[in-house]
Amino acid sequence: MTAISVAGLVKTFGATRALDGLDLEVSTGEVHGFLGPNGSGKSTTIRVLLGLLRPDAGQVRLLDGDPWRDAVALHRRLAYVPGDVTLWPNISGGESIDLLGRLQGGLDPRRRAELLDRFDLDPRKKARTYSKGNRQKVALVAALASDAELLVLDEPTSGLDPLMEAVFQGCIREVRAEGRTVLLSSHILAEAEALCDRVSIIRHGRTVQSGSLDELRHLTRTAITAETVRPAAGLESLAGVHDLRHEDGRVRFDVDTDALDGALRHLTGLGVVSLTSAPPTLEELFLRHYGDELADDGTAAREPVRS
Amino acid sequence: MSTQLSEAPARPTAPDRPGRSSTTTGTAALFRFALRRDRVRLTVWIAAGTAMVALQSVSSQSFYDSPGALAAYRASVGSNAATIALAGPPVGLDTVAGAVAFEISATVMLIAALMAMFTVTRHTRADEEAGRTELLRSARVGRHAPLLAAVLLAALACAALAVAVGLGATATGLPATGSFVLGASFGAAGQVFTGITAVAVQVTGHTRSVYGLVGGLFAVFFVLRAVGDIEGNWVVWTSPIGWAQAAHPFSDDAVLPLLLCLVVAVVLVLGGFALLDRRDLGAGLTQPRPGRASATPWLRSPLGLAVRLQRGALLAWVLGLALLGVVYGALADSVETLIAGNEEALAVFGDPDVDDLVSAYLSTTFSITALLAAAYAVSSVLRARTEESDQRAEPVLATATSRSAWLGSHVAVALVGSALAMTASGVTTGVVRVLQTGEAAAFGRMVGAALAYVPAVWVVAGIAVALFGLLPRLAAALSWAAVGLFLVITMFAESFDWPGWVGDLSPVSWVPLMPLEPWTTGPVLVLTALAGALLAASFAGFRRRDLATG
Ligand SMILES: Nc1ncnc2c1ncn2[C@@H]1O[C@H](COP(=O)(O)OP(=O)(O)OP(=O)(O)O)[C@@H](O)[C@H]1O
Ligand SMILES: [Mg+2]
Repeated sequence: MTAISVAGLVKTFGATRALDGLDLEVSTGEVHGFLGPNGSGKSTTIRVLLGLLRPDAGQVRLLDGDPWRDAVALHRRLAYVPGDVTLWPNISGGESIDLLGRLQGGLDPRRRAELLDRFDLDPRKKARTYSKGNRQKVALVAALASDAELLVLDEPTSGLDPLMEAVFQGCIREVRAEGRTVLLSSHILAEAEALCDRVSIIRHGRTVQSGSLDELRHLTRTAITAETVRPAAGLESLAGVHDLRHEDGRVRFDVDTDALDGALRHLTGLGVVSLTSAPPTLEELFLRHYGDELADDGTAAREPVRS
Repeated sequence: MSTQLSEAPARPTAPDRPGRSSTTTGTAALFRFALRRDRVRLTVWIAAGTAMVALQSVSSQSFYDSPGALAAYRASVGSNAATIALAGPPVGLDTVAGAVAFEISATVMLIAALMAMFTVTRHTRADEEAGRTELLRSARVGRHAPLLAAVLLAALACAALAVAVGLGATATGLPATGSFVLGASFGAAGQVFTGITAVAVQVTGHTRSVYGLVGGLFAVFFVLRAVGDIEGNWVVWTSPIGWAQAAHPFSDDAVLPLLLCLVVAVVLVLGGFALLDRRDLGAGLTQPRPGRASATPWLRSPLGLAVRLQRGALLAWVLGLALLGVVYGALADSVETLIAGNEEALAVFGDPDVDDLVSAYLSTTFSITALLAAAYAVSSVLRARTEESDQRAEPVLATATSRSAWLGSHVAVALVGSALAMTASGVTTGVVRVLQTGEAAAFGRMVGAALAYVPAVWVVAGIAVALFGLLPRLAAALSWAAVGLFLVITMFAESFDWPGWVGDLSPVSWVPLMPLEPWTTGPVLVLTALAGALLAASFAGFRRRDLATG
C-alpha cells in the first residue's frame, strides 16, 4: 500500500526549475525521511502534495487521491506542519491549535492537553510573543493532536531544543506504532537515522537515492588503513576502491561495501601487519550527496535502490 | 585579544573607537540605505502630488478662462458646504490660481500625509516587527539611529514634494510665490504626519495598528477642519491640516501657520524619541496581555477566523463612518446660512430652493461616504492577500478548508462590513436630520440614500477580489489605484465638465444621487450583477492558481 506516490514531478517558478522529474514513494505505515540540501525542492514537493501548488508535469497520488482536485477531502485525513511556522500575531497559541485542529476535522482534547504538557508549551501566549521553538511547538501540537492517518512534516524540529527533540521522536514512534504514515523532511541526520524506516534524498529537484537505511548504509564506503609485508600494489585495479593513497609504508583507501571482501582478500595475500577500518556512516553518504563533488565522482549515475 | 590590538599598527582613521559611539551612531548609513530602498517609491509619491497640481492648474486655467466663469465658480463653491467640507477654506477664489489651490490642496495633503506615514513606518516599526532592526542594532547602530534615519528621510521627501510642487505650479504659469507657498503647505502637513507617525510607531507594536492610528488621526483632523471651514470659526485651528491650509496660497501667502506645523512636527519627533527610550525593542508601550488557553466555540470555521482577524478594523470603520454621518448631518443646517451669506451666489442662482440645496449637499456627502466605505472594503479584501503572502493561509488551506471557503470568508467580511458602514452613516445622518427638521420621514430617506450605494461599493470590492484571484501580485497596487481614480472622478468630473464617459468609469457615479434624485433600479441591478461577475471570476482564478509561497 502506498500513501504517497510521485513520479516525474516537475514544477517551475518562472526560470527556476524547482522540481525536475522528482520521484517519491511512501508506503502506508512507514516513517519516510525526505532529505536534501537547502533549496533542493523539499518544501515545494510538500506543497504540491498538499495541493497548494499545481504541478507542471508528472503523476502525483496522495492517499489514493489527486492532491490538487481532491484537496479538501484529502486534507481531512492528513495533518501538516509547515517549514516556517507563521501564526496570527494576536491569537494565542492555544486558540491557533484549536482553530487548526477544528478546521482539519476535530482534535482530541485529551491528547491536546497531554501534548501541551509534554512539549511544555504555554497556550495562553499570543503568537507574536512566542520564541521560534515555541511557535514550532504550536504547529506540532496541532498536528499531533489530530488523528490524521498521514502526517506531513516539513523540518518540524527546526528550533527545538534537544529535550524537545527527544519528546518529538517519542511522539513520532507512537504515531508509527498506531500504523500511521509520516513524511518527514529534515536536515537532522541523527533524527532521520533514529526515526525513519526509509529515506529519499533529493538534489536539484531530483531524487538521487532512496531506500531503507540499511540499504543506504550498504552504499556507503568503509575507510581502510593497512600495513602490509609486501608493497601494496594492484589495489588500484580493483573495482570499488577509491581514493587510494600510500603514506609512510601504509596504504589508505575507501572501499564500497560490496567490494570489501575482494579488497580484504587482496590485502591478506600481501601479508597484513596491521589493519584499521572505519565503519560506514550515513553522514558520509549524505555529505557525499549534498556536496558538489557528486557530479564528478560518478555516484549520481547510480540507480536508486528500491525495496 | 587585547595584546593583538596593541600589536596591530595604529590606524590613522578612528571610526571604530568605542568612545565615539552614541545613540545615533549609524544614522548616516541607515539613511543612505533607506533612501536606496525607497528611491522609486518616494519618486512616485512626489511625482503623483506634483502631477496632480500641474494637471489641476492646466485644466483650471482653460476652464475658468473668463472672469464670468470664475465668478460663477466662486458663487457655487462658496455656497456649497459639501465642496468646502472636501476641499478647504473658500478663500482666494478671485483668481484662477486661488481656485487651483482650493481644488487640489486636500488631495495632495492626503498624499503628503500618506507618504510620510508609510516612509517612517517602513523603516521603523515594520523593520522591527520583521526582526530586521534586531539584526541592525546588533551591529554598530545606536538606539535612536533607525528612527532618526526614518524621520530624516520622510522630512527630506516632504521638502522635496514642496519644492517639486512649487516648480511644477510655477511652470504651468501660476505666480511663483504662491506656488512655493502651496508646495510648502503640503510639505508642512507632511512634516506634521512624520511627527505623528514617529510617535505612533512607539505606541503600538503592530505596523497595521500604526496605519490605523495615523489614518484615523488624519480623518479626525480632516473632519475638524471641515467643520471649522464650513462654520468659518476657530475649530479649524484644532487641526494641523487646518494650519497648513491657513497659508492661503496665492492670496495671503501666510508662512506663520506653516512654521507652527514645523514646530509641532519637531516636538512630536522629540516625543517619539522619548517614548522610544521607554520601551523594549520589538514591543509597543504596553506589554501584550496573555490570551485564551483555548479557542471560543465560534472560532471553528474560516469565517470565524476572518471575523476574528478583521473585527478591530471593521468596528473602527463602522464607528468612523457613523460619526462622519453625524458631522455631515449636523452641517446640513449650515448650507442655508452659507447661501444666505453669499451675495454672489444669490446673484447667480437667484433665490434658490434651500431644500434642493440641502438635498444636493447630502447626496454629495453620501457619495464621499461611499468612497470611504469602498476604501474599507478594499483594505478588507486585501487582508486575504496579506494572509496569503505572509504564509498564514498555507496552514489553513492544508486543512479541510476549501479555497473558496477561505477566500469567501474574507470577502464576506468585506461585503457585509462595508454595507454595515454605509448603513451606519445613513442611520446617524438620518437621526440628526430628524432632530433638525422634526420630520420623521427624513430618516428613511437618509438610510435609503446610503444603502443605494452598497452595490457600487461592492463593485469596487469586487475589483480587488478579482485582482486577488487573477493578478495577486498586482492586487494591492491596482485596487488602490482604482479607489484613487474613483475618488478623483467623484471630486472633479462634474466641476470640470469632463466628458460623460469619464464619470461613468466610476461605479459610484452610476448610483442615483439620492435624496436629490429619485431611486432608479436599473443601475443598481447592473452594479449588483457586475459585483457578482467579478467575484465569480476571482474565485475561478484563485482555484486554479498556485498559492504564494514567499
Ligand atoms: N514561489 C517561488 N518562486 C520562485 N522560486 C521558488 C519559489 N518557491 C521555491 N522556489 C525555489 O525553488 C527551489 C526549491 O525550494 P524549496 O523551498 O522547495 O527548497 P527546500 O528543499 O525546502 O529548501 P530548505 O531546506 O532550505 O527548506 C529553490 O531554488 C527556491 O528558490
Ligand atoms: Mg524547505
